[in-house]
Amino acid sequence: MKDTLFSVLDKVKNLGASYAEIRAQRNNNTLITLKEGQVEAVTLANETGAAIRVLAKGAWGFSTTNSLTRGDLEKSATSALKMAATAGPSVREPVKLAPVKTVEDKVKLAVKKDPKNIDVSTKIENLLRVNKGCFGFDKRIKSVTVSYADLTTEQTLATTEGSFIEQQKMFVWNYTWVTGKSNGIMASARDETGAHGYELFDEEPPEQIAERVSKKVTQQLEARTPRSGLQPAVIGTNIVGVFAHEALGHICEADLTLSGSALMGKLGKKIASEKVTIYDSALLPKEGFGTIIYDDEGVPGQKTVLIKDGVLVGLMHNRETAAKMNTKPTGNARAQDFRYPPLIRMRNTCFERGDHTFEELLETIRFGYYLEAFRGGQANLDGTFTVGVQSAYEIVKGELGNPVRNAGISGNTLETLEHVEACGKDFGLEMGRCGKGQYMFQSSGGPPIRVKSILIGGA
Amino acid sequence: MDHTEFCRKAIDAAVRFGAREAETLVVSGHSVSVEIERGEIKTCTDVWDSGIGVRALIEGKVGFAYTNTLTDEGVKKTAEQAVKASRASLRDKNWKRLPEKTRYPVVKDTYDKRLVEFTPDEAVTLCQRMISSALEVDKRVLPAFGGTEVSVQETVCVNTNGVEGRNMGTSLGCGLGTMARSETQVSPMCYEFKASRLYKPEPEWVGKEAARLAVESINVGEAREGKFPILLDQFALQSIWMFTLIPSIRGDMVSRGRSIFRDRIGEGVADEGVSVYDDGTLQGGLNSGSTDMEGVPRQKTPLIERGILRGFLYDNYWARIEGAKSTGNASRGGGGLGLPPYGSVPAISPTNFQLVSGTASEEELLSEVGNGYYVRGVQGAHQSNPETGEFCVALAPAWRIEKGEITHAVKGVMIAGNAYEMMKKFSLLGKETRHAGMLIAPKAVVSELNVVTK
Repeated sequence: MKDTLFSVLDKVKNLGASYAEIRAQRNNNTLITLKEGQVEAVTLANETGAAIRVLAKGAWGFSTTNSLTRGDLEKSATSALKMAATAGPSVREPVKLAPVKTVEDKVKLAVKKDPKNIDVSTKIENLLRVNKGCFGFDKRIKSVTVSYADLTTEQTLATTEGSFIEQQKMFVWNYTWVTGKSNGIMASARDETGAHGYELFDEEPPEQIAERVSKKVTQQLEARTPRSGLQPAVIGTNIVGVFAHEALGHICEADLTLSGSALMGKLGKKIASEKVTIYDSALLPKEGFGTIIYDDEGVPGQKTVLIKDGVLVGLMHNRETAAKMNTKPTGNARAQDFRYPPLIRMRNTCFERGDHTFEELLETIRFGYYLEAFRGGQANLDGTFTVGVQSAYEIVKGELGNPVRNAGISGNTLETLEHVEACGKDFGLEMGRCGKGQYMFQSSGGPPIRVKSILIGGA
Repeated sequence: MDHTEFCRKAIDAAVRFGAREAETLVVSGHSVSVEIERGEIKTCTDVWDSGIGVRALIEGKVGFAYTNTLTDEGVKKTAEQAVKASRASLRDKNWKRLPEKTRYPVVKDTYDKRLVEFTPDEAVTLCQRMISSALEVDKRVLPAFGGTEVSVQETVCVNTNGVEGRNMGTSLGCGLGTMARSETQVSPMCYEFKASRLYKPEPEWVGKEAARLAVESINVGEAREGKFPILLDQFALQSIWMFTLIPSIRGDMVSRGRSIFRDRIGEGVADEGVSVYDDGTLQGGLNSGSTDMEGVPRQKTPLIERGILRGFLYDNYWARIEGAKSTGNASRGGGGLGLPPYGSVPAISPTNFQLVSGTASEEELLSEVGNGYYVRGVQGAHQSNPETGEFCVALAPAWRIEKGEITHAVKGVMIAGNAYEMMKKFSLLGKETRHAGMLIAPKAVVSELNVVTK
C-alpha cells in the first residue's frame, strides 16, 4: 500500500503538482433502527475508496475513486491534477500551505470494546432496552425511534511531503427520538449519545438513556410557553456546548472568518466578558467525538484556545488558512469520508469551567429561564445565532419553577458573550454532528453559565 | 451505463444465499464542480461515486447491505451480507412485501446529453461570470462562497417481484452566498441559486440577485415588536415547512401517531386559497423521475386542495401498513449521517412540493401586508417541533414594510408561531412561483405572526 501511494504521488509531482495527498479508507459500518420496537433493518456496509487532492498552479483539484489499485489511483490523481490546472489560471491569490513536520505514524484511539466483536443480536438487545424503557416510563409515550450506528474507518494518509499516517477512527452512536401525547398536546424530545467504542452502553445503561429522554417529553406535556423578549437566563451544560459551537465556533473557523465573519479583524481584541474562556480541542475531553490524533492533513491533534478571559486569541485553521494568516495550522482539517475534501471543522468545543455552584448561578435571578436541553442550533456569519430549546424551566426568585416548552433563543454572539456573568463548576459534554456541506462527528460542552439577558422567543 | 444486469445478478445471489424476497438498488453518479471562496475560484472537483444496496428478507426480517465496490465479487459479497444481516435481525411484524411490477410514466426534460459532455473549463467560466455579475452590483459585496455543479446520475432498482425501474438524470446548478460590508455594518450571508435539469445556466442572474440581497441588507433600521402581517419568501416558507408540514404529511408520521393530520382527511386544515401537491413527474422538476428509489412509479399526489386535507406521502412499507397505495415517494441515503444514495433502506421524502400560485403581483402582496415585514430567509427552522408545528426562528435577511413599501432591513428579530395555524392565515398568494429547495411556491402573505425584538 505504502509503495503504491508514494509511487502515485511521485507521478503527479513529476507532472507538475506542487503538493498532493491521498487519503485511502476502508470503512465498515453497522446501522440499526428501531421504530416502536420493530427492527426497520439491520444494515451492514463495506466501503473502500480514496480521496485525492492536488495543489497545482495555485488551485486545488480534487478527485475520488472507489478502487485502491495503482492504476485507478493514478487515473484519479491525474484527474485531480487536471482539475487543479483548470482552476489555476483564474486564481489571483495562489493557495499556499503552512509548513508542517513530516510524520510517519500508526495510531489508534484507546477503545475498550471494538463494536465488530459485539454480536448484532446484542446490539439489537440494547436498543430494545432503550425502547422498552421509554414506553415503560409513562403511558403518554406514544412513539419511539432508536437509531444506532457504529462506523469504523481504517485510514491511510500519504502526502508528497513524505508524511504517511495510518489511523483508525471509530464512532459508536445512539440517537433516540420520543413522542408523547396527552389531551391533544403532542411533545417530543431527542437524545444523542456516543463513544469511540461499544463501551457506550456500559458507561450509561440503555434504561438511563430511556429515562432521561422520556422525562423531557412528559415534562413538556405539562409545560407552558415562555414570555418572549430579553430575559436573564442560566444556560445549562447541554446548551452551553451548542452555543459555543454554533454561536462562536463557526465564526472562529478561519475560512469563515476570512470570508467576512463577525470576527474578521478582531484577533487579539476583547470580544467577551472576562469570565469567558472557550477552546476547541482534539485531545480533551478524551471521550469526546472530536478527539482525533491527526487531522486529515496530517497535522497532530491539539488544543486551540479561541477566547481567553474574554480576548479572542485564536482561530481554527487548516494549512491553507494558516499560511494566509501567517500562523500555524491547528489540526482542524477534517473530511466526512473519502467522498469529500477536508474542511475546517470543530472537534471538542467547550466553555472553560468557573467556580459557581448551580444554586449560586440561579440565586440572583428574580425572573428568568433555565435553558436545559437543545433541539438544534444555527449561526450566520454576521454573528446571529439561534438555538432551539427543547426543555427549559422558569426561574422564579432564584429557584427553578414551572417547565417551559417551545422556547428558542437568538442573539448576536458578541453581545451575548459580553453578557456572561458567571460560569459554573459542573461540566457536561454532548456528542453531536455538524453539517457544513459534509457531516462530521464532534462534541461540545462546558459548565452552566448565567447571562444577564438573552432574546427568548416562544409561540 | 446500464446497471440493470448488475442488479439482476445481485438479487439472484441474494436468493441463492437464502433470501425469500430481495431488492437491489444501484446509484451511479458523476459530478464536476467548481467552488468559489472569497471571491475567487479555488477548487475544481471531479467525483465519481457508484454503489449498490441490497435489501434481503427472510420471514419478515429485513437485512440491508451496501458497498461502493461495483464488481461481480463486490456485488456477490454484498448480497451475502444482506442475507446475513437479515438472519441477524428480528421479525418486523408490520412487514408485508416489496413493491409489485408496474408501468412507469415518461417524465420529460430530466436528462440532457449536453450536461454529460460538460467540462470543468465550462464550470470555471460559469463561476467567473457569476462572480463578476455580483461585483458589478456593488463593490462592497464579497462573493464569499458558491460554485457551479453538474451531475449525472443513474438509478436502477430491481426486485424479486419483477420490478425494474430506471432513471437517468442530469442537473446543473449555480449558487452564490454573498456578504456586504459598510463602515459600520455587515450584512448576513445572503444566498441565491438557480438549478435546472437541462443546460440552462443563469450565472449572471444568480450573481446579481445574491449581491442585491446583501447590499439591501446592510442598512438596518428599527424593528417593532408585536403581531404583524408577514410576506414570506419561498426560501423562508421552505425552511419552515421542511421541518413542520413536510414531516407531518408523511405517511410514516401519520401511521405512527406523530402527525397532527392523522384521521383528518377531508377536513379543512388551511385557508381555502391553499392547494398543495407533490409532483414527482413534473416536467423538468429538480426531483422528477419515472421511478422512486424502490421501483415505484413517481406520481402527482394531491395533499391539500382548497384548504381540505386530501392525502399523505407514502413509500411501499408504510402504504401497505395503512392499506394505502405507495405514492412513489421512497428516497434513500442521507439522513443524519450523510449516507450515500445507495446506503439505506427507503424513507419517505417529497419530490417537487408545490404550493399552487395565486394571482397577486409583487405590489399587491406588499400592499396586503401594509405594515409588517418581508422575510427572505429564516435561521433555526430545523429546531421546530414537527409534532406540534411550533417554530421560533431568527430572520436573515428581512425587511420592514411600511405603508405597503419595503423601507429598511432589520436585524436581531425573531418570529414565533405555529406552522399549522399559519396555513389558515395565508391571506394572499403571489402569481410567480420558483424553486426553493424541494418547494415550488409563490410568495405568501401570512395575516399575522408574533414578532419578537430585542
